[in-house]
Amino acid sequence: MQRYFVAMRAMIARNLINMRRYIFNTISGLVTMYIVFMLLFLGIRGIGGAALAGGTTLEGLIVSYLLWVLSISAYSDLAWDLNQEAQVGTLEQLYISPIGFNWLNAFNLISGLGLSFVFSGVLLVVMMLTTGKYLSVDLISVLPLMIASLLGVYGIGFAMGGLALVFKRIQAFFQIFQFVFVAFLALPLDRFPWAQFLPLTMGGHLLRQVMIHGTRLWELPATSLAVLALTGICYLALGLITFEWSARIAKRKGLLGHY
Amino acid sequence: MSMLEIKNLRKTFASKKQKVVAVDDVSFTVQAGEMVGLLGPNGAGKTTIIKSVLGIVEPDSGTISVKGFDPSRQPKQLLSHTAAVLEGSRNIYWRLSVWENICFFAGIHGISVAVGKSYFEHLLTTFNLKEKRDSEVRLLSQGMKQKVAICCALAKQTSLVFLDEPTLGLDVETSYELRDALKDLVQNEQRTVVVSSHDMDVIQDVCQRAIIVSNGRVIADEKISDLLALFESRTFKLVVDGAHHPELLSELNQMVLPVSSSTNDRQLILKVNLPTARDLYALIDLLREHGAELETINQEAPDLEKVFVNLVRKERERCNGTL
Repeated sequence: MQRYFVAMRAMIARNLINMRRYIFNTISGLVTMYIVFMLLFLGIRGIGGAALAGGTTLEGLIVSYLLWVLSISAYSDLAWDLNQEAQVGTLEQLYISPIGFNWLNAFNLISGLGLSFVFSGVLLVVMMLTTGKYLSVDLISVLPLMIASLLGVYGIGFAMGGLALVFKRIQAFFQIFQFVFVAFLALPLDRFPWAQFLPLTMGGHLLRQVMIHGTRLWELPATSLAVLALTGICYLALGLITFEWSARIAKRKGLLGHY
Repeated sequence: MSMLEIKNLRKTFASKKQKVVAVDDVSFTVQAGEMVGLLGPNGAGKTTIIKSVLGIVEPDSGTISVKGFDPSRQPKQLLSHTAAVLEGSRNIYWRLSVWENICFFAGIHGISVAVGKSYFEHLLTTFNLKEKRDSEVRLLSQGMKQKVAICCALAKQTSLVFLDEPTLGLDVETSYELRDALKDLVQNEQRTVVVSSHDMDVIQDVCQRAIIVSNGRVIADEKISDLLALFESRTFKLVVDGAHHPELLSELNQMVLPVSSSTNDRQLILKVNLPTARDLYALIDLLREHGAELETINQEAPDLEKVFVNLVRKERERCNGTL
């Protein structure tokens, strides 16, 4: 158990050091996210408020945007990082750890998620201050919903990361998928009820209820929460299976260390 | 129990166009505390063998065991005894410092900084990296990067270490430093090291045994001294003062012994195969008769490179059906 704790600390330390070394990249990423948000916000306000993301136009935009930022961060922690590790030639070193690659990956995701929450929190505060739209940030309700929403994204990230091990140059596909997340978040459930089974859609819907209308977690419909949890788990499981299958193929073909 | 045991290992890489047998029925064992060289031309299968042991390449058939652990059934137990620097990969993070890399790779092996600190410091001293401790790896020379990668593998303090082409891209001085460090490892830490390399000097210098692989097959597995003895010849190189000795050369050519000669501005250089001591004395007498002053005489010793080239050439000829 001690060894796992040491490994987790090593992964977290590495991520913090990298963040510090790439501080300009981190800050410019945040600023870019903020600028894109403001352009969207001002654009939508200028149009006069076509119903976007669940009908509550501007507040809905903030919630959806926040979840999208968290999603692409979670997605990149997996798909991009795996791709990057394979590219620079450190992936095999992670694979030959006696802790197990899956554990190391999990530690990486935990530390990535922690950092994402911090940055998203900063972004949320800035977005609320500049737009004057204040949302309910009841952490007991918001955090579980966010984590459950991200399960599906992690599933997609695992699947993409796995495919990258085998097919290598699929960055373009990675990038396109980041924008598919926007579609998942923007689909209104009242018009497209089947969309509740897509990743992020139900999560976005419930988060908007919590953050805009102040609904508490336990006041949300149990069926909706069950759909959120089950779809998240299903996508995560599918992603993990795809990843394991891809890693097996990569090992059979000797592709883990090559890019 | 052997540290590493490989039996009948076979690995084929198949694509739509062709099927390549990378490793073909390879078997060998490495005992604890041995430093073994794995030699072979490009594409011989050395890296595939190492990666199969580490479980990052799945073999088609055969068995592998490290301290009795199988990579497919007990990967974590096996990997807790194994570390490697792999060829063709960075192996380390260039954005982290030397120390941060060592701590990270030891950490993901379950060794905390608190536990390993004094050993990590020892590695920095051994590999002359102390001054670069806090430098980002990307700012270091190729040789230093390679040394950091080796330190990171050694920091895991495993009993078996694979070094795949550890001297690739190193300058002569760094290569010598590395050899000393490797010898130190085996002598003082009783580690088992498998070194795969093209650099025959390194293998000859640091290893007790060499396994030569060609076309995916083991073509020799012998002590280095035995391999050298296989190709030992009684060829002597004689340097004679004065470049012009036409009579001597004509008499030499009448001798049954194979002789080759060359000259420079002031010397005649002879290469003669002298199977017995009597032949050597006869040659010396002949030189004396012609008043040729012998400057130096040396017996040509075979080196591992010649042994390697000979063995690999023979194997190729065998494969092509010319033998």
